[in-house]
Amino acid sequence: MKETPLSNCERDFLLKAIEEKKRLDGRQTYDYRKIKIKFGTDYGCCFVDLGLTRVMAQVSGELVAPKESRPNEGIMFFNIELSPMAAPTFEQGRQSELSVKLNRQLERCLRNSKCIDTESLCVVSGEKVWQIRVDVHMLNHDGNLMDAASIAAITALCHFRRPDVSIQGDEVTVYSPEERDPIPLSIYHMPISVSFSFFQQGTYLLVDPCEREERVMDGLLMIAMNKHREICSIQSSGGIMLLKEQVMRCSKIASVKVSEITELVVKALENDKKARKAGEKCGFAESLPQERITALKVGKTPVEVMDVTEQANDIVQKAESCSLTVHTRVPSPLVPVPGVGQVGQGQQTTWGLEEEEEEEEEEEEVDEEEESDNSSEQDKKVTKMEEEDSRGDVVEISDSEEEEVVILHPETADKALKNTGSSFHQKGAAPSKQKRKK
Amino acid sequence: MEACNTSDVTLRAFGCEHNLLSRPDGSASFVQGDTSVYAAVYGPAEVKVSKEIYDRATLEVLIQPKVGLPSVRERSQEQCVRETCEASLLLSLHPRSSLTLVLQVLHDDGSLLSCFLNAACMALMDAGLPMSCLFCGVTCAISADGQIITDPTAAQEKESRALMTFAVDSRERKVLMSTTKGSFSVHELQQCIAVSQKASEKMFQFYRDSVKRRYSKNL
Amino acid sequence: MAGLELLSDQGYRLDGRKATELRKVQARMGVFAQADGSAYLEQGNTKALAVVYGPHEMRGSRSRTLHDRAVINCQYSMATFSTAERKRRPHGDRKSTEMSLHLKQTFEAAVMTQLYPRSQIDIYVKILQSDGGNYSVCVNAATLAVIDAGIPMRDYVCACTVGFVDETPLADLCYAEESGGVSSLALALLPRGGQIALLQMDARLHQDHLETLIEAAMTACKGVSKVLDQVVRQHLEEVSMLTGE
Repeated sequence: MKETPLSNCERDFLLKAIEEKKRLDGRQTYDYRKIKIKFGTDYGCCFVDLGLTRVMAQVSGELVAPKESRPNEGIMFFNIELSPMAAPTFEQGRQSELSVKLNRQLERCLRNSKCIDTESLCVVSGEKVWQIRVDVHMLNHDGNLMDAASIAAITALCHFRRPDVSIQGDEVTVYSPEERDPIPLSIYHMPISVSFSFFQQGTYLLVDPCEREERVMDGLLMIAMNKHREICSIQSSGGIMLLKEQVMRCSKIASVKVSEITELVVKALENDKKARKAGEKCGFAESLPQERITALKVGKTPVEVMDVTEQANDIVQKAESCSLTVHTRVPSPLVPVPGVGQVGQGQQTTWGLEEEEEEEEEEEEVDEEEESDNSSEQDKKVTKMEEEDSRGDVVEISDSEEEEVVILHPETADKALKNTGSSFHQKGAAPSKQKRKK
Repeated sequence: MEACNTSDVTLRAFGCEHNLLSRPDGSASFVQGDTSVYAAVYGPAEVKVSKEIYDRATLEVLIQPKVGLPSVRERSQEQCVRETCEASLLLSLHPRSSLTLVLQVLHDDGSLLSCFLNAACMALMDAGLPMSCLFCGVTCAISADGQIITDPTAAQEKESRALMTFAVDSRERKVLMSTTKGSFSVHELQQCIAVSQKASEKMFQFYRDSVKRRYSKNL
Repeated sequence: MAGLELLSDQGYRLDGRKATELRKVQARMGVFAQADGSAYLEQGNTKALAVVYGPHEMRGSRSRTLHDRAVINCQYSMATFSTAERKRRPHGDRKSTEMSLHLKQTFEAAVMTQLYPRSQIDIYVKILQSDGGNYSVCVNAATLAVIDAGIPMRDYVCACTVGFVDETPLADLCYAEESGGVSSLALALLPRGGQIALLQMDARLHQDHLETLIEAAMTACKGVSKVLDQVVRQHLEEVSMLTGE
């Protein structure tokens, strides 16, 4: 979808407010929005909420052959998906500029800074190494996707456990989680990115811009650091001109923010570890907030199935009893060769005008009734057959191999002409095939 | 004609949350046991000229798997969901518009397609799109010894002989869509359909309860 | 590359340079007669060719026309023979797209686009031989090409890649130094005002060293700008001699 343009009055309002050091949601210039970290059921899945921006990261691993230039190092693969759920402008499958930018920034932030010991991912040098794949899905875009993605990615990597592997000579055995406890990845440090947005040619600076602020900003500076005050990556984007003092100031602010966020991540990981050890159920299902009126949860419910068998028996009997009368109309299939069924005599299709008109009429009738998928085809065939029978001719069923005549409920099929569709619309010829062969 | 054992048929604990994302017009999350899914709806909105239909809205369904890019399996699931939604939405009220339904897998522990359908229905309701009926999805599995299991987990699905998903409508409990895998007899099929219809009553009751709860307070 | 000393005790690097020494810069402007502006720049062993077309009417997607400025369209590509191993995909992969975006961003800051509303300026850069500092050499070559095309800019855009080894910043990294795991910082600068058009850094660097590194980068860029200035003046002399003024 095309992006709705930002109105001039909104833009002016935002810029004026920023000049007066006021933000839309009442934050201070250097404040982050509320960060919430939740984990999924299996290892390596985490959800991060940065204000209203929501992001999900999933880490998975598989054994592959290593790259030729680095035979004893594992492979890290990062993928940020801008899901169409997050914003109406994101389209499925299109590699937009934003997608390339975010992907490259995340790669540089996590891969070039060597936060993970890739040599420990090697199983058999030159033959089998672990490929760790991190998929980050954007669920809701309310600004600052980069920061949310970096927090989600590193948290998911810290949370992930890979299956245990043992090597005996040439054989490599991968143990499932039930056989041996999976082992965590060895992570050296946790790089977290902090985004600064600049307004009015670099005069004003805001940390963690929300979506509206991102629309009016001139440029963005992304600094990724870890809690040891090491800068992992700096990237300036947008056509802004920075001064050295501004960059230094930003790096100082970033170091403070990163240490706060790292504490939060470590605490969340510990809480989850404790909960899993205590045997509590963890996962998205558990974290559904119960106290909100927009959420509701119901426990395990039994389903009454008292008269199900009778009901089913009834329907099958009805179908079978009518199939007896149907048999006079439709010849049972011949089996000339095993695996080939033939119904009718396979005469030449006469493409006379008469038949075409009748077919058109039938099609119109069927189209008026609202059907879903196959049933219209089946009804068409049913009506076509009945029309032909009423003429007293031999049933001419077309040569097409695809059209299997399926009579499910012949007595309702009569009504089908007048009513809207038979009571059961079913896909697949499996039940009818079985019926005839009985 | 085997008579299936339908002694203990239960639905796993399920829950949902409405309106949890700020950008989409309607959003919902649906949880069945451990299977959880997010659904988001955008629409009615502008449609590309190549995709516009002169008298109806164009419904597009996108399913995003957790790992990797969408493949053929997601395409077939999208088709199932789309057909169900088209049967129940009043598309002719919004000609030349587009409705986009995006479904994201959060965790797959069996009965994924029925979870998609339930989440989709909740999200469409949340978006306020006019529908002629509600729908819900129920998955039935027939185990190796002939037992019918509703709402199977991934482990149960793997060991089952046949797996079926039905979309049931709320007005007359008719089957809007069915998709099956595996081999089964006609009798078993009819039984599963009847069981699904019974199970759908619980789901519709849950829909009512959750919407009632949501609008219980005047804001 | 274990065992290779990037900085010896006497302060000499792999190719014999001192820590703050730049590689030899050789450049020629007006290489192609057909393009509006073109330049060829060599910095040590890295060779880049830049070509500028414009300003001209928007081609392609009319919807991207800006009513008050010109749109700058950059494309960065590497020749398949530019690296030690033959490059499989010269353009269209993520790294090249990222570089193109960075170039676009750099020149949007420097070129006075308000003078050409509703137009488009195309900048194409190709790396013919890659020996480190790809981005910086591209920027320098593109600056010369833009000047050759006669498009007004706020200032020269000079870029340089610096690294940090043993507490010393090394200016103008070559490929061996870049791939040796050194923290490298690429900086594009407008020398007169000291404004940074693009700042990009990878690999770990302690925050305290950041200032020294940026300072070193800025000094190196100013050095590059002097060389570029000389090249431009020389080219201007040659051209004016030819046209007999």
